[in-house]
Amino acid sequence: MSPFGVGFNAFSSGLLESRSCLNPLTIFDAGLDYCPTVAEIRHLPELTERPGFRLSRTDRFAVLAALEAAQTAGEGSDSHEGGALIATTVAGFAEIDPSITSNPLRYYRNGGFSNVTSYPAYHPADAVGAWLDLHGPCWGVSVACASGAVAIALAAAMVIAGEAPMMLAGGSDALAPYTVSGFNSLQALDPDPCRPFDKNRKGLNMGEGAAVFALETVEHAKTRNAPILAILRGWAMTNDAFHQTAPDEQGRGLAHCITSAMAMAGVSPDAIGYVNSHGTATPLNDVAEVKAYESAFRTRSLPIPVSSTKSFFGHTLGAAGALEAAVTIASMRNSALFPTLRLTDPIETSAVDWLMGQPRRQALPIAMSVSAGFGGSNASLIFELPSGSDVL
Amino acid sequence: MNPDQPSITGIGTVSPFGPLRGLIARKEVEPRPITAWPTEGLRRAFLVEPFRPADVVPGLKTRRLDRLSVWCLVAAGLAIQDAKLDLEKENRSRIAVVLGTGLGCIELTESFFQSIATNGYAKSDPIIFPEGLSNAPASHVARVFGLRGPNLTLSHKGVSGEGAVMQAASLLRTGQADTVIVLAGDTLTRTMYEWFEAAGVLSPACSGPAPLPVPFSQAGEGFVPGEGAAAVVMESGHKAAQRRAPVYAAFRSGHATSNPKAAVSVASKALGTSSRADVRLVIASANGSRAHDDTEQSIIREAFGDKARVVAPKTSLGEFDGSGLLRLITALSWSEPDTRSLALLLGTSTTGITAALSFDLPCRSTAA
Repeated sequence: MSPFGVGFNAFSSGLLESRSCLNPLTIFDAGLDYCPTVAEIRHLPELTERPGFRLSRTDRFAVLAALEAAQTAGEGSDSHEGGALIATTVAGFAEIDPSITSNPLRYYRNGGFSNVTSYPAYHPADAVGAWLDLHGPCWGVSVACASGAVAIALAAAMVIAGEAPMMLAGGSDALAPYTVSGFNSLQALDPDPCRPFDKNRKGLNMGEGAAVFALETVEHAKTRNAPILAILRGWAMTNDAFHQTAPDEQGRGLAHCITSAMAMAGVSPDAIGYVNSHGTATPLNDVAEVKAYESAFRTRSLPIPVSSTKSFFGHTLGAAGALEAAVTIASMRNSALFPTLRLTDPIETSAVDWLMGQPRRQALPIAMSVSAGFGGSNASLIFELPSGSDVL
Repeated sequence: MNPDQPSITGIGTVSPFGPLRGLIARKEVEPRPITAWPTEGLRRAFLVEPFRPADVVPGLKTRRLDRLSVWCLVAAGLAIQDAKLDLEKENRSRIAVVLGTGLGCIELTESFFQSIATNGYAKSDPIIFPEGLSNAPASHVARVFGLRGPNLTLSHKGVSGEGAVMQAASLLRTGQADTVIVLAGDTLTRTMYEWFEAAGVLSPACSGPAPLPVPFSQAGEGFVPGEGAAAVVMESGHKAAQRRAPVYAAFRSGHATSNPKAAVSVASKALGTSSRADVRLVIASANGSRAHDDTEQSIIREAFGDKARVVAPKTSLGEFDGSGLLRLITALSWSEPDTRSLALLLGTSTTGITAALSFDLPCRSTAA
């Protein structure tokens, strides 16, 4: 589910067309003294309701993405034995009126009672579990803007350990007045379409969406003749242990995360053909991230191709790591390295091959997605296109 | 015990028993009247009494943090002390932090809503906003103690603490960390308490002189809410042995389900190759509410028969989502195994979620 539309095909098409989804906010009044630029989902498909279960916008995105993931993966004899790890930061915040705090009991008695049931971070995972009749663990993951990537890594560990035959994992977050206000208060929003890694960047644009992956071992997929879209070859998670909102200025935590993921995947820096970056377009993040690439890829023979696709669909917070993992897979499957839109004057570095303009057409067997978040958390995922023997 | 088993070697808690290092001495605690917000008459809950964090963990700075962040910092500091973990000698890139919480930093989230209600969306408080994120407590623990390994926050209703223990064990077993600071907890706020009131799930003891709820009793009139946080240091049995660290309990296995029909099989799976007769202690999540306790009782009966010794620590801790770790610690504190034994931590919710975790308990005379 993305501002490009419903489904992975719409997502891939939007990226291949270099279509920016960043526009003035229309789905609610942000209450600011300007209209923020965001990437919003304007047409949300209907879902069959379930009695006693209130779905927030975040929940709906998660369920719709999970339904597509499950459909693509196909039904196996043990599909329902799996679980869901769904990341979020916003969950059902958008459902709650700030006036709740003055007199909660009155708010509940005046119709707000069920609004708050979708507040907890576990609710999107719970919704996915209920709609897809999953019997395994359904957990919420909340690691700020690294959440989506972390959920994928944790789910991968669970299927490898045999704790579940299949896990649905990813992230979902909806635009909410709460978070727009929060990032505005931090002076982190660019009122215009953002320019990640540009010297003239002014901040981020918020977006919304969800991406969910069906994860299982290669052996399990082959046993049930399931299509293998990509192989998660390695991952790592680290923390800067530095500051609640600012990254380590030298990008040490992120560099360690990248090198650890390459070690787990058993690949050299030269094997990585593309990095889908975190690239928020905030002054601090982008510089620290470049420092991380300079350190982690210092032994490469050529600069590492990097782009930030937040320039297409904004920063989707808890969904970002998952949506950007989907970008990475779309990039590999379409042999297209997507650019950073509006990047004209990039941060100077000899370590990075900045992707600008139109998608670069080239074969891409192995690529990496990088995420970071408030609280200093970092996550890196390395994907590989399945080889001939793995493709069914 | 198997040297590969993730082992608990340090404990820190912030609970109605106060901030404590190590096991919790048995004493009676009563719900206390709520004074933090205006109430219509008497309202009670199992509350953490205010304390100065720096008095417990010297040098700790906690200004403008959510109470859950503060408690996690204090509990983590106490657990690290208790485990005699010398962080200067540890590779801190290999120390992870895993937090399980139902509602995260709800107190500062409410404050942020309040700042919006008062000043408007354009003038909300930039200091509060990032501190309301669910992962703020785990992040602060990483920052203060310099822990650069994986940093995770998970939420899974009433089994959030159980989920954190399971993920911590997974990080150790898959080699993603050598040591994990496992945290679990929740704070009680006005919006939560009044939601329980509106839902009609509270015990009459919350608002009057009625007796406290008795878990698994026929009365089952409702629960008393609670709050608190706990931290444990978890490391491989091999590493604990190398450090000569006493072990409180060793994690054997954990399973969770969202399907009510699979609850009994999850409890059985957690036992692995052991028989149900080997289980000396079942640590229940019963809280005094009829639907919840009936569900759990039927799982226990079917999985372990009528002879299992069952304890229900929520009689002293109250009901909150992230209570799993505190329930485990309370039960460890108050059981006195004179031989090695097997304990099962059970988390149940009326919506069908069940988690079951098994632990080997060493003979107390050889433990911490």
